[in-house]
Amino acid sequence: MGTTASQLGKDLLSEYQELTFLTKQEILLAHKRFTELLTKDEKDLPNTRVSMERVLTLPELKSNPFRKRICYVFSTSEQKDGSLTFEDFLDLLSAFSDSATLEIKSHYAFRIFDFDDDGTLDCGDLEKLVNCLTGETDETRLTTEEMRQLINNILEESDIDKDGTVNLSEFQHVISRSPDFVSSFKIVL
Amino acid sequence: MCGQASHLLYLPQSEPHQQDLEEQHLLQISRSGVRVASKVRCKVGYFDSVCGSNLSQKLKLLRWWRCLLTLVLYEGRRLGFGHLLLKRKCREKKMEAHPTVNFMRLLSEESTHSSLSSDSCEYYQTEIFDQLPSIQASRPDQNTQGNWETHQGGPETGESHGHLSRGQKDKASTQPLRNMVMCIQGKRDARDRRKMQISNIGFWESWRRSQSINRKRFWAQMRGALLGLLPWQRTLHAIEGRFGVGVKAYFVFLRYLIYLNLLHCAFIGGFILGPTAFYGRCNSSEPLKFGGNDSVLDFFLGSGYLDRSPVFFGFYTRGSLNLLCLNTPLLYLAGILTILFLSLIMVVRRTIVGYKHTWMLGKRYSMNVSYKIFCGWDFTIQDPASATLKCSFIRNDLKLFLEEQSFSLRKAQRTLGQKARLYLLRFVLNLLVLSLLGGAFYLICFATEWSQSESGHHWLVSLVLQYLPPITITFVNLVLPHIFRKISSFEDYSFTTQVNVTLVRSIFLKLASLGIYLFFFFITIAEHQQCRENKIGREMYKLCIFNFLATFCNAFLLNYPRKLVQEKYPSSLLARLSGKQRFLIPFNVLDLVYSQTVSWVGVFYCPLLPLIGTVTLMAMFYIKKFTVLRCCVAEQRMFRASSSSVLFHFMLLLGLLMASVTIGFNLYQQEVTQNITSSCGPFGNGETVFNVMGVCVDSLPSLAQSTLRYLASEAFALPLILAEVIILTSYVSRGRANQKAIERLKDMLVMSSSDKRFLVKQHATMLRRKKTLTDRVRSAPSEEDANLKPPSTQSHPSVRPVHSQTSA
Repeated sequence: MGTTASQLGKDLLSEYQELTFLTKQEILLAHKRFTELLTKDEKDLPNTRVSMERVLTLPELKSNPFRKRICYVFSTSEQKDGSLTFEDFLDLLSAFSDSATLEIKSHYAFRIFDFDDDGTLDCGDLEKLVNCLTGETDETRLTTEEMRQLINNILEESDIDKDGTVNLSEFQHVISRSPDFVSSFKIVL
Repeated sequence: MCGQASHLLYLPQSEPHQQDLEEQHLLQISRSGVRVASKVRCKVGYFDSVCGSNLSQKLKLLRWWRCLLTLVLYEGRRLGFGHLLLKRKCREKKMEAHPTVNFMRLLSEESTHSSLSSDSCEYYQTEIFDQLPSIQASRPDQNTQGNWETHQGGPETGESHGHLSRGQKDKASTQPLRNMVMCIQGKRDARDRRKMQISNIGFWESWRRSQSINRKRFWAQMRGALLGLLPWQRTLHAIEGRFGVGVKAYFVFLRYLIYLNLLHCAFIGGFILGPTAFYGRCNSSEPLKFGGNDSVLDFFLGSGYLDRSPVFFGFYTRGSLNLLCLNTPLLYLAGILTILFLSLIMVVRRTIVGYKHTWMLGKRYSMNVSYKIFCGWDFTIQDPASATLKCSFIRNDLKLFLEEQSFSLRKAQRTLGQKARLYLLRFVLNLLVLSLLGGAFYLICFATEWSQSESGHHWLVSLVLQYLPPITITFVNLVLPHIFRKISSFEDYSFTTQVNVTLVRSIFLKLASLGIYLFFFFITIAEHQQCRENKIGREMYKLCIFNFLATFCNAFLLNYPRKLVQEKYPSSLLARLSGKQRFLIPFNVLDLVYSQTVSWVGVFYCPLLPLIGTVTLMAMFYIKKFTVLRCCVAEQRMFRASSSSVLFHFMLLLGLLMASVTIGFNLYQQEVTQNITSSCGPFGNGETVFNVMGVCVDSLPSLAQSTLRYLASEAFALPLILAEVIILTSYVSRGRANQKAIERLKDMLVMSSSDKRFLVKQHATMLRRKKTLTDRVRSAPSEEDANLKPPSTQSHPSVRPVHSQTSA
């Protein structure tokens, strides 16, 4: 703990506190957990990226069906490989923290669910989303007929402007009415 | 960067009208799309907030709306620059693939791509879709990155950038940095930009801002510290991780009840215990001592030692505190009334808050499936086993929903004969339920009468006799709900209705059995006893204790051995028969509501009941935690936390109402049948609960007296009711008007969206035509492009200057 405190300067710490929703303790804990993911020689380098595979070994993310999407969304990597720096990691934790606003959470949820990164949730995205939720294997998946019925239902309900996709504002419209969302869209270390 | 700039210049020169056309399209799309969309969203949000949400949310929405509108106003200027960006982005993408290809070819390739997609794909797959302002607005980080680039690109693009960034700054400076959806580096840049702004503003303003930040931090720290004081956070977290939000809601409810009881204890201490301890009692000649013929059994029966102790009503007699408006009876009454009122306010508040959500969610916007999908995953789950479990919940839930949909289809297709048969069946089953309920009530009443009969039996027999009514009630409530569950499965309801019907019947059974018991008890008790209140208090005490004992035994003598058998001999007959244990949330909540109702009924006769309740509830928390974590597998059907917590609080409200009615009824009965004058407790010497206030009022000065009398009279009540009616009517009509407005706005949204789609498609066809055009231009220049140009292009010269400026 002492080493982490020395590694994270006081200015940096207060800067992170200002820029994220995390408290001091949470940032320190995040730093500790993040440095555990690094190898020995990586620890000395500033701003190291941790590959997605290693990030996904965290128990908080391991069993999440959206883990890869989460990494891709929060990664600032040029190669789009889902690798995270410590600041990306803090961004992730901030969005998933207790005190993040509904707007932030719903925005990131939208981007996580937008599998092809095209700015809307179309039928393909919804299908992938449902498959993630029900489990990926063949026996757990819904049948094609069920899937069709389900997606029709979703679009009928939340596609307000009837253009065949759910866009961000429609998505937030749905989410803002769900009192459970804020409490369940949460990852705490 | 330089080469790119020259390409940018190249485009408008080669095809000026084409450029105009696209811009105009974009302009139209943006205007129709964004403005209406933002307006409608804002209005919808606004109306909802009028009907429900709080003021800050409303303000936020309004602010947001304003920002969007300013954004739209700058759209025209920005588009020119955005357009160039598009071209450059596409080109860069292509450049990666073919670094040495020339510009003309690139354009044609791009349009080929678009023409291919415009035939087969939806409009959101066209490349212009990315340029729609509504889409760009949803990607603020990429947006700002783009702006950043152009900002570095050159001073001429900075001109158009300035307008946009001012709009953004407007939006940005109103919200804290952490609320912005961008990565930390982006936030740093934003902060740097903002710092400049602050330095422009001046020393005083910056000092004030830093002060406000400090203040906010302080409050956040305070809140964090207070949240840290909440007990059992870790436990709840663990439970939530394994069993999901629904079971956690049960434990949160349990914790809430503990708080409620603690609050009651504080009031009891302040109003009742404190004055009695301070001023003493009039007949406190013998000190309270455990001895003589007292035994440990008294703690179960509430007799003997406990009868003389402060646990019961009889202890609190009039002490030396004997002013006209400040005496023991008055304080006693005030304490009890405060407790009941406070509970009423708290429970109603919680119910309303939850109900507002479900009401808005259920009735006006049916969005059940969307919730299941969009808010379905519980990101707090860490355990892989519970993750697969959650997957299967969601799958089952979705299948259930689809099944129910087809069920309602089937229901609509029922023939008359089938309907008649079904209704007959339901009628018979309801009769069965009623007769079961009747039997249960008879049993309770029989047990009550029997337990009252005086007899000199062995102590064990008398103990059982004493506990007979609680045992009967608990037994009935243990068995009948399961029978109800079975019965409702025959009634051919949809699954959700089945669960709800069972729950409603169980609630009715639980509260009514308590009510029946109390009723018969009040009637039979009237004949004997010198201290009637103590007797009632003793019964409530026994109910409370027995409820706790039942929970204890259920956990350690039933559930735990069952689990052990299953673990040790998983293949044995007993293990297979008993099956897996599930934590049935509704029935467990019902237990809690029951015990809380008992506590409310008994608090008048047994003022220490809240304290006992707090202790038992705390013990219950650990017992239930043990049961859940050690013995149970998660339930097949998930309970949504929100809807279930509404249900919990609604049940609690029912319990509270019943408790108040019971107390009121009993006091009234006591008042009417004058023959029993209570010989114990604070109300003696002809004083009753009803006239003790009157004595106090009489002693007041005449003005205060008449005011109080006016407030209590019908002359005051009538205007009050009228005013309430008027206010309510105005709210209802406003709500209706808003409802209509929402419908209209939705229609508008659909219209504008179809316009948008039409325009985007039109644009895609344009691109395709342009492609054929450019092909022809390459082979032989023709005049066809002149025909393409619609006359309206000339009417918008205002878009041009931006470009000439850019290219200059």
